[in-house]
Amino acid sequence: MKIAIPVWQDSISGVFDFADKLSLAEIEGQTENNRLEIPLPNEPMPQKASRLKELDVDVLICGAISKSLAFLIIGSGIKIIPFVSGQIDEVLSAYASGQLTEMRFLMPGCRIGTRKGFVKGGHRCRWHGGL
Amino acid sequence: MEKEAQTVILDSITEGVFTVDLNWEITFFNQAAEKITKIPRQQAIGQLCKNILRSELCEKDCALQKTIETGKPIINKPVHIVDAKGNRKAISITTAILKDKRSKIIGGVETFRDMSLVEQLRKEIQQGYSFEDIISRNHQVQKLFSILPNVAQSNATVLITGETGTGKELFARAVHNIGPRKNRPFIAVNCGALPDTLLESELFGYKAGAFTDAKKDKAGRFALAEGGTIFLDEITDIPISVQVKLLRVLQEKTYEPLGGTFSCKADVRVIAATNKDIEKLVTQDKFRRDLYYRINIVKLALPALRERREDIPLLIDHFISRFNRLHNKNITGVTDEVLAILLEYEYPGNIRELENIIEHCFVLCQAEIIQRECLPAMFQKKQIDESIGLNKAVTLEEMERIFIKQALRQNNDNRTAAARQLGINKSTLFRKMKGFDIK
Repeated sequence: MKIAIPVWQDSISGVFDFADKLSLAEIEGQTENNRLEIPLPNEPMPQKASRLKELDVDVLICGAISKSLAFLIIGSGIKIIPFVSGQIDEVLSAYASGQLTEMRFLMPGCRIGTRKGFVKGGHRCRWHGGL
Repeated sequence: MEKEAQTVILDSITEGVFTVDLNWEITFFNQAAEKITKIPRQQAIGQLCKNILRSELCEKDCALQKTIETGKPIINKPVHIVDAKGNRKAISITTAILKDKRSKIIGGVETFRDMSLVEQLRKEIQQGYSFEDIISRNHQVQKLFSILPNVAQSNATVLITGETGTGKELFARAVHNIGPRKNRPFIAVNCGALPDTLLESELFGYKAGAFTDAKKDKAGRFALAEGGTIFLDEITDIPISVQVKLLRVLQEKTYEPLGGTFSCKADVRVIAATNKDIEKLVTQDKFRRDLYYRINIVKLALPALRERREDIPLLIDHFISRFNRLHNKNITGVTDEVLAILLEYEYPGNIRELENIIEHCFVLCQAEIIQRECLPAMFQKKQIDESIGLNKAVTLEEMERIFIKQALRQNNDNRTAAARQLGINKSTLFRKMKGFDIK
């Protein structure tokens, strides 16, 4: 499974829309096999979504993301786990071990009424229509 | 001044204000900042400012950092942010240094103004629409989105079909605005609005003396669109005589102005649109077959709103935000009953009709939430179809259950097809079915 994470320094970039680097990791079971970093050019949203598709990304783990871009990415069959913050290493290992739903990985601004659902069911920040 | 008094003052202004310490952690966050970022103060305090403001500058060219390093304030710099609800917003930021009584730098202060209204007006004046202005999670529209970048980069003629009000011009502008011709003109011509006798001279221009009153040369729309894009809306309304000339432009990239003796070169991309069944018109000899083949190189078929009902709540939200800005109101949404009515309606006028309905509500609505009484008269008489049980639906959850059952029924219990129709993942559908005990 190929996971893409927008990177800033060694953490998840705050907003996927504005990120300029992407970390691509191959995960099998709970093991991370391979990881590489690639530049993410500043281009229109559909191209950004197509780029992820071309890279064979299965899951995008990111910080904030605009609705329009999120819909494009979901529409191309890629799963998004938005509003995640933290160090890339920690986030990847938490994802691999199924612990990404822990509160410490949740971006600020996503906590009203989601705390209970977030811990239990992995619900995150949601907008009308949800993700 | 006491801290409480400072908070009251800063909360009373309409500009967002936050302060940071030297670790970039937020130490103060006013009410307007909460409203613009949609992040409550208690969650913002103590967080890195980049995770709260979420602007395009934060990680590349932080304005506050620059100010603290250089001592120079930055004033009214336009940037974009993504708020906690996923809305992309235009703001303008101003930064300054924060010092203690001994003039020691202790952090920075950033004030920011919501420029969404200005940006919206600018877009409406310049018609600079892009993909982010097309709101949809419908799979058919998403498919169109996925091919649009390639379509935009090419020079191929595009035919956009779809009922009235489905956003054909918005798509045409989006194609133009992300393509290589984006800095050149986009000229829209409603072929149906021009009399047959005028259309030819409007499109191709005329030379002095071409007809009575033609005192001097006049450039046509093709000349005005030189280097850019011409959008021919309602192309099927073009008379056969003009269709021949249009065919020549597409084939040979040249045309002759009315009364002209020399051909003009045309470096213009053509995007055509129609709300009619163009293939039927071809078989009826009302539209030239050769021209049809010339314009039908890339076809974008826009679905009617009733075929993308999952977008209705998103569009309602979008129009409410837009009219809140334009009418300076603070309407937060619609009641469950209104949502149920709007979800059920057929929308012969598509998105434009939904937009008009919401605008109508804005004129009448005095409350914060749009009630049924604010809807146009036709909805006052309309009873909700009892057969699908929406009249009993009082909560969104209940409506969700009804729509899932409906989608399953319409797709003969094919869950994959039902999930696609609803615009959700198959696994989400399974989870929801389990939650609602739908078998």
